[in-house]
Amino acid sequence: MTLLRRLHKWLGLLIGLQVVLWLSSGLTISLLDPAKVSGRYWTQSLPVEPAYLPTGEILEPDELPPDRLRGATGISLTMRHGQMVYRVFGPEGERLLDANNGEILVFDQDHARQTAKQDYLGTGKIVTVQAGKAPDLETRRHAGDYWRVDFSDRVSTSIYISTATGEILERRNTYWRVRDFFWMLHTMDYQTRDDFNNSLIIAIILVAMWLGISGVILLFGSFTRQQFAFLNPFSGKKMVEITLLDPDGGPSRKVSLTAGSNLFLALAGQGIDLPSVCGGGGECGKCRVKIDAAELREPNRVEQGLVPSPLRKKGYRLACQMQAEQGFKLTMPRSQ
Amino acid sequence: MIRKPAIIARNLHKWLGLLVGAQVLIWLLSGLYMVIVNIDFIHGDSLVRNTQRELGLPGTTDTGVADLIERFPEATTIDFTAIMEKTHYTIRTPDQSFLVDPVTGEVVSPLAEEQVRRIASYHFNGEAGISRTVLIESDPPMEIQTRRLPLWRVDFDDSFSTSFYIDPVNGALVTRRFSFWRIFDFMWMLHIMDYEERQDAHHPLLIGAQITGLTFALTGAWLLFYSFSRRKSAKPTGSSP
Repeated sequence: MTLLRRLHKWLGLLIGLQVVLWLSSGLTISLLDPAKVSGRYWTQSLPVEPAYLPTGEILEPDELPPDRLRGATGISLTMRHGQMVYRVFGPEGERLLDANNGEILVFDQDHARQTAKQDYLGTGKIVTVQAGKAPDLETRRHAGDYWRVDFSDRVSTSIYISTATGEILERRNTYWRVRDFFWMLHTMDYQTRDDFNNSLIIAIILVAMWLGISGVILLFGSFTRQQFAFLNPFSGKKMVEITLLDPDGGPSRKVSLTAGSNLFLALAGQGIDLPSVCGGGGECGKCRVKIDAAELREPNRVEQGLVPSPLRKKGYRLACQMQAEQGFKLTMPRSQ
Repeated sequence: MIRKPAIIARNLHKWLGLLVGAQVLIWLLSGLYMVIVNIDFIHGDSLVRNTQRELGLPGTTDTGVADLIERFPEATTIDFTAIMEKTHYTIRTPDQSFLVDPVTGEVVSPLAEEQVRRIASYHFNGEAGISRTVLIESDPPMEIQTRRLPLWRVDFDDSFSTSFYIDPVNGALVTRRFSFWRIFDFMWMLHIMDYEERQDAHHPLLIGAQITGLTFALTGAWLLFYSFSRRKSAKPTGSSP
């Protein structure tokens, strides 16, 4: 037990901060409304009318300029922004070709402004529209050039629009940015934020497992039967009488404690505080008292470590390791 | 009453540990699995081959997209779909989809079970044979709850219980599942405590457990201040011999 206890507290010192960070970042992420994080809270969802492909002028794929489809792993003919296009998926992501002439479509700033305005339901106005290139922190799941449209609202909305497809890539705001920061703390990937298979987190979690397992074992030893007596309302509470002797020969007192309760805690519950730094954890050895009893149990491992042998022989024990028994006579330490 | 902060911290840590210790351990265990097993492996990247190939184009004498638009006035999209290296057309209308063979110009969907098996084997990166195929039209298993039905499920006779889910119209490998993915999904359920849908991480049970867990960890941190104080810092207590 003493070894486990030592392991537990040193591991706690070593990685306790990260455990607190895991719990607080997990809590923060759970508290944030997913609709606000994703931005759909401020998004206008328009009914989608089916856009049928029109008959008439169209280039067959083999009539397109040959380099346009090179490396394509996916091709799809569909309607986009009111015109018929080939969507081409290749190593550089998606791009659109005009199905009538094969030109590569590029969407300009005005289109981005228009698209963002139509999508956005919030109260802000467009402040700036700037060009950028994915992937960066906020567009890390995409590739290619984009327009970033910033709004003047309280949550600093930014809508990203692809120059290649004219469509919305991401909606970002303060909720998302806060969530993403805590997600970084949670995954411990301080660069890309999404790689939770990194070796740092693996190392820390392996240590944390030991912290957890040692804690569980310690938990079993840290309760006395008496602490669960409340679960059985029919078991009458048995009391024992304990005499407290004054070290200077003054008058003694008698206190009544629950039988089997932890002596240190039971005395504290009566307002009698024995000296202690660790609070009854068997760490500091300060709560030692001399006990006179008909049958005093042998010193345990904790007491062997914290109470000098000559004192143990005289009947000194640690109150935090003892359970209250009828007839104990305790010599109290001198008050300081 | 008890006044010493060290005693209060220790008691809180014990009782909170009793209350949420099991869940904290579950968070650690499920987290451990998720960080140790590589996510690309979980997604089944090692189970498949022959995906992401460059598409071949239909020949000049074949049916072209202009013909298809005439034939399917309801078409909203025409996808070029490779079925075992041969490119086909998938016509999508608001209500349904068709697969068209560009050489004959005929509708060849839905695919026969035999062909689905061939497609599955073509994409399966392993030696094992197929143990079972079933067309799922309703009541999808949890592992494809977000996917559109119908789908063919093709089970392989390998040690990871691999299943491929294949689109009955165009033979697309929609997704793949195997035991490592299923364990991951189970761990994720335990991690976010959403035992029904396994998706929602924004619910009172989880938040309550997190607040309790955080308090538990903080009382542990608080206790560290007391636990490292040794006897030498203790004043003489007068009970020395």
